[in-house]
Amino acid sequence: MSFEQEMDDVMIDLETFRRGARAWLDANLERRAEREPRVHLRGMDHKTVEGIAEERKIQRRIYDGGYSGLSVPVVYGGRGLTASHEAVFEEEAQPYVTPDFGVLGRTTDVCARTMLSHAVDDFLKRHLPRILAGEELWVQFFSEPDAGSDLAGVRTRAERQGSRWILNGSKTWSSGSYYADYGLCLVRTNSDVPKHRGLTWFAVPTTAPGVTIRSIKQINGDDEFCEEFLEDVELTDDDVIGDVDGGWAVAQTMLVHERGGGGTSALPVPVPSQGPAPDLVALARQAGREKDPAVRQLIARAHVNDFARHQLTRRIASRMRSSGIDAGVAAYGKLAEGTLAPLRARLALEIAGGTAVLWEHGDIAGMTTAVNYLNGRIPSIAGGTNEMQRNGIGERVLGLPREPSFDSNKPFSEVVRDARNWKSRVD
Amino acid sequence: MDVDLIDDQILLRDTTTRFIEMTCPLATVKELADGKGQLDSNYLRQAAALGWFAMLVPEELGGGNVSGNGVLDAAVIAYARGAKLQPGSFIGTNVLAMTLALEGSPDQQGAVLPSLLEGRASATWAATGPTGVGEPTAGVRADRRRNGYVLLGSKSLVQDASSAGWLLVTTLAEEGPTQFLVPAETPGMAVIGRDGLDLTRSFFDVVFDEVELPSSALVGRPGAATATIDRQLAVTCVLSAAESVGAMDRDLALAVQYAKDRTAFGRPIGSFQAIKHLLADTSLLLEMSKAVTFAAATAVGSEAEGGTEMASIAKAFVGDSGIDLAQSCFQVFGGIGFTWEHDQHLYLRRLTTEAFLFGDPAWHRERLCHLAGL
Repeated sequence: MSFEQEMDDVMIDLETFRRGARAWLDANLERRAEREPRVHLRGMDHKTVEGIAEERKIQRRIYDGGYSGLSVPVVYGGRGLTASHEAVFEEEAQPYVTPDFGVLGRTTDVCARTMLSHAVDDFLKRHLPRILAGEELWVQFFSEPDAGSDLAGVRTRAERQGSRWILNGSKTWSSGSYYADYGLCLVRTNSDVPKHRGLTWFAVPTTAPGVTIRSIKQINGDDEFCEEFLEDVELTDDDVIGDVDGGWAVAQTMLVHERGGGGTSALPVPVPSQGPAPDLVALARQAGREKDPAVRQLIARAHVNDFARHQLTRRIASRMRSSGIDAGVAAYGKLAEGTLAPLRARLALEIAGGTAVLWEHGDIAGMTTAVNYLNGRIPSIAGGTNEMQRNGIGERVLGLPREPSFDSNKPFSEVVRDARNWKSRVD
Repeated sequence: MDVDLIDDQILLRDTTTRFIEMTCPLATVKELADGKGQLDSNYLRQAAALGWFAMLVPEELGGGNVSGNGVLDAAVIAYARGAKLQPGSFIGTNVLAMTLALEGSPDQQGAVLPSLLEGRASATWAATGPTGVGEPTAGVRADRRRNGYVLLGSKSLVQDASSAGWLLVTTLAEEGPTQFLVPAETPGMAVIGRDGLDLTRSFFDVVFDEVELPSSALVGRPGAATATIDRQLAVTCVLSAAESVGAMDRDLALAVQYAKDRTAFGRPIGSFQAIKHLLADTSLLLEMSKAVTFAAATAVGSEAEGGTEMASIAKAFVGDSGIDLAQSCFQVFGGIGFTWEHDQHLYLRRLTTEAFLFGDPAWHRERLCHLAGL
């Protein structure tokens, strides 16, 4: 078959698919109320286990209808179609009520994509159908009280005892952990080798004996953040994702999926084709300042930046299509969000002026600008700080030399000891 | 300007770059800036032969583009030009060629278009009033008199007005926005050279002291030029942004190379996060500038909805980013960037000047609010 014919088939197939999806959606899902905002104010939208159970039911319906995991291979519960089919379904599903798993919607997706690249067949057959059916929501057990940006410096350890692995340590900043079913957990399996070479990924059931999950109250009032304590948690080789001690390669894949997907979506980013930042225009009107030249400059500044971010995302996708997945290139998207989102939140504050810092008791709409302002720093810190993105771009894209390293060429146990002695070091 | 191009556009870009290397490399640009040397007299004609002035003119009038989107093709050329800080009124000549193709009388098309397309004459667009910012009609009034018009007032920031064969003059007549095709050396029109920040190009004030023009100098119908002016401005913004993106790309490449080569405290300065992070942020500005310019060129060239807005977005974003980029590269170069001999200041001067041509970033931001009905 010629390339053109093949393309034709895919095109026809997509149109047929679209018609099928449209009919199915109409028959099986509820329509969303007109103009119901798709983006929720983060921190004002606390998920409960009961609420999530309802969302799982909708996901189950989509799975049973054959519209979950469209690009996932059939053996793992998917449909074996393409990313284009996924995009078509998403487009068609816009007017309908689809499951809202909060922060875990994206996390689970990133975890699943990573598993598809690194987990063994049995693991995928066990977990992916359940993920696609909404029975397994996954949280990331990455950061620790002593390891954030330095992800390869995690200290939670797994020790082999016969056929079992015993996990001990603690994790933190795991958003949505309290309603997750599994944690994708990075641990140290060998401290006698340099830090990047002794890491392994495990699937940790959140209900396993020895796992304690606690919520952390955040500055926006929510307690979506969690910390976990792992005390003698027993797992087996079946729970390992990727190679034992080969976890760093898996981490790289995951970070690309995370950054490629457009970051942490902490703040509303209007589609620029709707005209200048509608949320900020509304804010200016409320404050009666839409004719103020200074305020107009702020609105247009945000609009121009929104457009630039939007087009950057498209450019990154094109670059990756032509020269492959690249963590350095993906870092551009994350850095753009991490620098422009806090700026945008601050512009909103300046537009609203004094009306943004006080509101009537309990007035959710009135506190939006202030809460977005507090949330503004989420994208510059969460999921890889701006500084980490700058290192990635500087070294991987621009080819600048690395900093001298104090931790990559010696066993991790020595790294920990030397760091402890750093303050008394005299050079 | 480097992804999502078709093969013919890549060929166009690379041919343009090779032509520039042969006829007017940066060394020549610097000689010209120092008032030494002269531009090869065949430069314009050879450039024209490569299609520099043909992209916005349909084939039946002697033009032609390579991809079907002439604005994007012209932007590809502008990008290659900007990288090597090329002289000459590329934008003005293209804008007049486009407008004559759209609105020109058969006489104008017959007499002027071929000379522009073949590089025998260049043109410039007098679109800025004496205050340096504002509507393209600002500064010059056109009064009806006998069988023609009289132009009164002045324009500023007119590139290469002394060497251009033709000026496209945008005015306000009683009927509304009206444009004229004015030949060089028209009586009553004074072209006054200005010294300026940019050493690679020449800018002029043009004073119209009761300049009498026949009706045949009108481009399009009197008072009905608004849509054409908008189109001219959109194309100008895109090509201006594309030239700047070319210059930004080159300046950053020089700074990155310097950060790898220069050592201090026993290591390349680019290994210090203070430098590395500055360059990473700067490179993000460049990536976004490329993305925005590509989108605007694609939309304006295909006359897609929102093209006008995207052109102003590109002009505002690239204007600011170009200055930021040149400043940051300057900081990386340190003292050497403050020397006349180094190329850095030429990029700084060019990018900064470009931001203020055809509406500065703040003017385009206000225009965006206005266009949105705010």
